[in-house]
Amino acid sequence: MTWTSRDRVLAALDHEEADRVPIDLGGTGSSTIVIEAYDRLKQHLGLEHETKLRSRLNRLADPDPSVMNRLGVDTRAITAGFGRASGEWVDDLTFIDHFGVTFKGTVGADDKHFLYKDGPLWGGKLTIDRIDEMEWPDPDNPAIASGVKEQVARYKAEGDYCLVLNVPDQVIHRAYALRSMVDFLKDFYRAPEAACYLMDKLADYNIRASENMIREAGAENIDVIFFGEDLGTQDGCMFDPENTYGRLIKPRHERVIQTLKARTGAKWLFHCCGSAYDFIPHLIDIGVDVLNPVQVTAKNMEPERLKGEFGDRLAFWGGINTQDILPHQSADAVRLETERCIDIFGKQGGYVLNSVHNIQFEVPPENIVAMFDAGLNHRY
Amino acid sequence: MAVRDIFDAVLDYEEDDVAELVQAEIDAGTDVHSILQDGLVAPLDDIGERFSAGTLFVPEMLMAAEAVQAGLDILRPLLTETGVKPIGTVVLGTVKGDLHDIGKNLVGLLLEGAGFRVIDLGTDVGAEQFIASAQENDADIIALSGLLTTSMPEMANAVATLQDANKTRNLNVKVMVGGPPVHHEFAMKIGADAYGMDAPAAVERARSFFTG
Repeated sequence: MTWTSRDRVLAALDHEEADRVPIDLGGTGSSTIVIEAYDRLKQHLGLEHETKLRSRLNRLADPDPSVMNRLGVDTRAITAGFGRASGEWVDDLTFIDHFGVTFKGTVGADDKHFLYKDGPLWGGKLTIDRIDEMEWPDPDNPAIASGVKEQVARYKAEGDYCLVLNVPDQVIHRAYALRSMVDFLKDFYRAPEAACYLMDKLADYNIRASENMIREAGAENIDVIFFGEDLGTQDGCMFDPENTYGRLIKPRHERVIQTLKARTGAKWLFHCCGSAYDFIPHLIDIGVDVLNPVQVTAKNMEPERLKGEFGDRLAFWGGINTQDILPHQSADAVRLETERCIDIFGKQGGYVLNSVHNIQFEVPPENIVAMFDAGLNHRY
Repeated sequence: MAVRDIFDAVLDYEEDDVAELVQAEIDAGTDVHSILQDGLVAPLDDIGERFSAGTLFVPEMLMAAEAVQAGLDILRPLLTETGVKPIGTVVLGTVKGDLHDIGKNLVGLLLEGAGFRVIDLGTDVGAEQFIASAQENDADIIALSGLLTTSMPEMANAVATLQDANKTRNLNVKVMVGGPPVHHEFAMKIGADAYGMDAPAAVERARSFFTG
């Protein structure tokens, strides 16, 4: 049979081997590429075009179809017209988003990035009244789903790709931005009721906004839904997997995932940076089919361990070492590492090739091409 | 009522209780050094060990550190009065080009809890700012943090500048580094004096400069 891109990804997610490993670039907001690295890549490939932005705030490029075709990319992203990075630029280094969160950028660094530094619930005690009194964006704002129908039509005209709906916001990460990360983490102890109320409202927002996008896209056109948040750190868990995640956060994640899976029948791609290991049983339990970005350098995240313990129930999306091999080692080392990941994660399917998180600022184009070419050429 | 109750209140993350209990011990005439060591430093060490072992996590560490801070706020004037000096002074910050600060803040909280004086310069801090602050505050240690892989070259530059200033300018500090992409080998290669693989380890390294 001739494999289409969509067949190839869906086979992998059903734990079957296709003709080659499926490849992602730009299918999600966590598997694309930083603008400067993209500019060097397109020059290296001799593919001239203006770089389109996926997100100015996150400094991410939207890869051009010419680049995606050259690299063998099997995915396409459905993204909100008005999402996480929508809002107002006060100046080059200050951005206020539609939740009223202020982001600040670094001064003078080449690798600019932005982090939240103020928000409507920063400081003081978290209370249900404060959450209700905050000015909430409208999930039915038509701007959220604008352009979704056109994206789907364009992708369908270009080929048979795996379409990934990107849920337009998050739950705990949005709560961090609204409240400050340190205070929200303490709210699990100081104001658990209000913290849960806030997470419930954020789950509602994400469900409603996504439902509006699904309606525009056509439920049958959505193959994968992408959503998630970082539960791990480099060396372990951000919070207690049972007492904090299992008891307080998991029910909100479960509601988002189960509601939107029921609307579409799509596979669920959950993003969790750092050591996700201790959370994986919970994630499988609430309907997650695929884990991203698979940070192999974090604790207990070795490919053999993950595939051995969870490979029959969970697929993996990402996995190519962003913290050392991609930025700091040779193209040959990248090829060898990519082949190793395909051999381990891709056995009997269950693997979509991409770097661990967005390809970062300093990654040389030779290394990017080496990673994707290994995906095109290496057989299981 | 005993110093042990302060220890327990820290482990229960009860900052108001810690403040009250510390005050009660002071009023009862308990040795302030014992209140500090046995009531505040000891439970935070306990929390740090459990954090490193992976049985306690970031929220618990933040809660315990805050409880200790509540006690320290009351104890600090008395420590100065009775001549109990900080173990040493640490100038702390995230390197230039990087705005991430949760890990750095944890290190700062734990260092203070352990009896250090901490000058936190925040994020996006250049080498010259570290040097100026260290000179001004007569610091013993400069501690650099970074999360981004692109912060690693900046960290290397900053460490080189600091070590150079140790030789040629009026500076006498140990240099410590840490952060997710940083590892021991890298820390040694760039000329740092110590690497902390997590916040409790950073406190241990800082202490080791004073115990030999």
